[in-house]
Amino acid sequence: MLKNIILLIIFSFFGTECFAQLKINFTEYSLDNGLHVILHKDNSAPVVAIAVLYHVGSKNEQKGKTGFANFFEQLMFAGTKDIAPGQYYKYVRDAGGELNANTSQDRTIFYETLPANQLDLGLWLESERMHYLIIDSSSVKTARELINRERLRKFNNRPYSDVLEQIFRHSYKIYPYSWVPVEPIQYIDKASIKEIKDFYKTYYVPNNATISVAGDIDIDKTKELINKYFSSIPKGENKIYRLSVIEPKQTKEIVDTVYENVKMPAVIEAYHIPAFTNKDFFSLYMIAALLSSGKNSRLYKSLIEKRHLAEQAEAHSFGMEAPGLFVLLGITEKNVDPDVLKIAMNTELDKLKDHLISKNELQRLKNLTAEKFIEANSSDAGLAENLAEFSALYGNANLINTNLQSYLNITPGDIKNAAVKYLGKNNRVVLYYLPVSAKTSGKGGE
Amino acid sequence: MKNIIIFLIFLFFLSSIQAQIKDNKAPLPGPAPEVNLGKYESFELENGLKVSVVENHELPQVSFYLIVNRPPLMQGNQAGYIEAAGRLIGTKTKTRTQNQIDSTLDFLGAKLKTFPGGVFATTLKNNENEVLSIMSDIVMNSIFTQKKLISVKERMKLEFENRKDNPQTIINTVSDVVDYGRDFPYGVHPTNETLDNITLKKCEEYYSTYFRPNISYLAIVGDITGNEAKSLIEKYFGSWKKGKIPEFKYKIPQQPDLTRVILVDRPNSTRADINITYPVILKVGSDDVIKSAVMNTILGGENFRLFKDLTEEHNYAYGVFSNLSPDEYAGNFTITTSVKNYAADSAVSQILYEMKKIREDTVSENELFKAKNYLIGNFALALQQPQTVAAFIINLDRYHIRDNYYANYLKNISAVNKHDVQYEAEKYIKPDNANIVVVGNADKISEGLKKFGTVSLYDKSGNNIKGISIEIPKGLTGKLVIENYIKALGGKRNLEKVKDRTTIMTGNLRGRKMTMTVYQKEPDKMKQEIIAGSLKQIVYFDGTRGVMKVADKTLDIKGQELEKLKYESMLGLLTHIDSLGIKFKLEGAEIVEGKKAYKVAMILPSCTKWFQYYNADTWLKLKESENIKVPRGTFTEETYLGNYKEVDGVKYPFALKQSVGSQELNLTVDSIKVNTGLSNSLFEIK
Repeated sequence: MLKNIILLIIFSFFGTECFAQLKINFTEYSLDNGLHVILHKDNSAPVVAIAVLYHVGSKNEQKGKTGFANFFEQLMFAGTKDIAPGQYYKYVRDAGGELNANTSQDRTIFYETLPANQLDLGLWLESERMHYLIIDSSSVKTARELINRERLRKFNNRPYSDVLEQIFRHSYKIYPYSWVPVEPIQYIDKASIKEIKDFYKTYYVPNNATISVAGDIDIDKTKELINKYFSSIPKGENKIYRLSVIEPKQTKEIVDTVYENVKMPAVIEAYHIPAFTNKDFFSLYMIAALLSSGKNSRLYKSLIEKRHLAEQAEAHSFGMEAPGLFVLLGITEKNVDPDVLKIAMNTELDKLKDHLISKNELQRLKNLTAEKFIEANSSDAGLAENLAEFSALYGNANLINTNLQSYLNITPGDIKNAAVKYLGKNNRVVLYYLPVSAKTSGKGGE
Repeated sequence: MKNIIIFLIFLFFLSSIQAQIKDNKAPLPGPAPEVNLGKYESFELENGLKVSVVENHELPQVSFYLIVNRPPLMQGNQAGYIEAAGRLIGTKTKTRTQNQIDSTLDFLGAKLKTFPGGVFATTLKNNENEVLSIMSDIVMNSIFTQKKLISVKERMKLEFENRKDNPQTIINTVSDVVDYGRDFPYGVHPTNETLDNITLKKCEEYYSTYFRPNISYLAIVGDITGNEAKSLIEKYFGSWKKGKIPEFKYKIPQQPDLTRVILVDRPNSTRADINITYPVILKVGSDDVIKSAVMNTILGGENFRLFKDLTEEHNYAYGVFSNLSPDEYAGNFTITTSVKNYAADSAVSQILYEMKKIREDTVSENELFKAKNYLIGNFALALQQPQTVAAFIINLDRYHIRDNYYANYLKNISAVNKHDVQYEAEKYIKPDNANIVVVGNADKISEGLKKFGTVSLYDKSGNNIKGISIEIPKGLTGKLVIENYIKALGGKRNLEKVKDRTTIMTGNLRGRKMTMTVYQKEPDKMKQEIIAGSLKQIVYFDGTRGVMKVADKTLDIKGQELEKLKYESMLGLLTHIDSLGIKFKLEGAEIVEGKKAYKVAMILPSCTKWFQYYNADTWLKLKESENIKVPRGTFTEETYLGNYKEVDGVKYPFALKQSVGSQELNLTVDSIKVNTGLSNSLFEIK
């Protein structure tokens, strides 16, 4: 007992909330064709990272015509007028560089890291595919094969692999977050070449794109190069439909059961939360970290270590462009009733609503958050990605400097208030995952 | 007239150039960037600790890299103690328990890693004091306990067990032994025995001798100034005491006088793993490093010569690469690939061909260009990590490299020309002085490898097993071996007395305890019951029909599996060989588990062949090997037999080790009961 008190006293002297102000400098402007440009100079390593963000995600798909956004993540590596099919990767790899891409419900982003003397190459590559992508039966076929491989990897007999799909489907009635970028069956599998070309012409245009370049660059020279490669690309002609619909507030708890090939039953809860830049989101982010960030976090300590109720217990806060979800997931230990686990999980949430968390616990979360933030921005690619995303989705690239402070300003009272406001019964979807054998025995949700 | 013709020729020429240009419109790279390691300062404490500081104020994080520059050490019969000591460092100090260390680091959002050669830590700027306090405490005041050592040893032994049959592990171990010899630290690898021998005293001795400031370097990278660093390091490491560091001299490892083949038999292998390897003299920070890196990339980089040759042109392998590593004491060159069995010798031929070619002909401008671009990119991207920057800063100091070596690295890669490449190839590519180490099915591949040099058979630990061929006594036949075997077991009379038998065995199946009970009754009734945790499996053979019951299912055993079951169920197999139509053929002699053994093929009437190995001295059976076909493919099932003990006049093996593919099962016989009057109903298939 004494040892713990001493530890507590020692901790409370450490880590004040005083934190060095972040000063990530950047230059921002737009070309006439609408391409938004962000440049960040960092001469510490002779590398340069280029990120191109297209403000299109699965939420831009029409209901029933899904799969386009993720499809393009693969298709954009096809051939262009001056790049032979399969060559895109090779150019980057031969230059000793790295590349990647990812799709979310809100946006699709492509990025590569190259040695600083290959900036031309990187900009040329991205400009080629922004305007001269070859969309024909051959490139579409290749992309479809890659998508199928991706699906196999994600879904093939893997337990709980469709959790996200199920959660979002149950949580959104109107807003197009009700489907996710990759699902086992999507309309894209039978879309016509014309439909695919239309998608490209609508969304893969400079006025829907943000390019950010971070690394060992000269700002003026880089501006010249961006002009050289991108200014001649014409603005997109098709209207870009920006969503104005709002998901109506959920007023009653939704409960459902999913029967699947799982060994252990699982319980998942999803609560509606505000969008990424809302002040309350920061509190909810901290709540997720408090609940599940390693062996010293609340869910682990109480559900796994102490009470052996769960094999796995996690919390995630999805910070999105439109109001997203806070998700709690628990996979039961052998012979544990999923309802018992659910009650235990909710007891942890109740604790947050009834008691303020200690200053020490909050300090630990702040340290963790700061560390995660730094890690996400310690590579030029990470920086470029984040600058582009903050600008395109939230209209403010400077969030890269202010966001962290917003997290660090959270008080125990903020956390309690957010828990009370958002983590309530009528604001949630509860999903039980049960093995198929349980279906016949009549077990299920309430 | 003439003018028109010239004009037409010119027009033709121009359009063909344009066609070429259209093929590759990618912009060319600019001149190699300069490596800017940042504002960097060095200072030394009174106790000899050398500190360098690289400032980077972009993000509020600081990383500390402490490297202990100790010489390589001969680990002897406690091989593995250095790794063990490295795992013990950081588990406890004079004033902190492991729990306190871990929870403080977790609270601070800091990372700390310990190695036998140092400690690395990364922290938020405002927590640097606390983290340095822990880091320095670990470096200066670590305590090792017997309890923790036992757990570290257990873990290391488990890791060793899990890896030891892995072809990658085998080839790496044997390559080291063969390249460096057992008198050089790099050629010494831990075994189960040496791991067992590790003492607490040895680990403590390692730590207290070598974790000393006078041979240590500390590189600090991040949001910190030179002055801040000075006062922090003085505060936390100032009291670290110097120590006397022993010196050792080692003979420089040599390349073999003639290329030779080192073969490790791995009968389960369907592929041959190949290393073409030898030690080289290549010091960190030398100009050779830069030029030879270009040469090595052209030879064995991804999508370069070896790759195109072995994968695209000949389809022998999925991948092949060459590695040329500098080292202060002994550098190394190794070409690595894994090929299908039938391609083993062809692959080696092609590799040697490429090695000769790069020595004899100058490389093309195109290859040179591509190799340099690739290396520049690789090097540049690595510099994003503070760890790389720290390593370079420390290298400059500890290897006495000139100051601008890294700053000009990329420029110097750029400047390499094809004559440099040829010079480096002649210096480092030695097809005539190489160790060709191959791990695979010796039966299938050894013949083809003989053309490259003397073939020596080695075991998994790198011991030379003298000669592949062992002399077989004149007049010995398969039948005679079996007759001697029967005598060794107790003689025909005693074998015939066995009418029924119950054998109970225990073993360990993937961490679970399992019990196996085998009931046998004359002539060929058998029931085998296996219980492992909640799993139960029963196999029946009633003389005609064989089934396997597991969970609620009953599966009929058919075909080759049924045949195997039939003969293995027979109690009186050995005493009825002729009437059963079984033939034995002596195939040769081999070393099995260190003992000389005769290899005999047992040929069933269906022509199925099982291989058996009999101890040449005792005539007892050491090993059995059968091919079994499962949906996944054909595997070799090997069973090793040992610890023969007598029960009612007949000897039986009380220790069995069976391996199929990479799975291994160890069984110990608990009891054998003979002639207890087993009833027929026990074998009825319900």
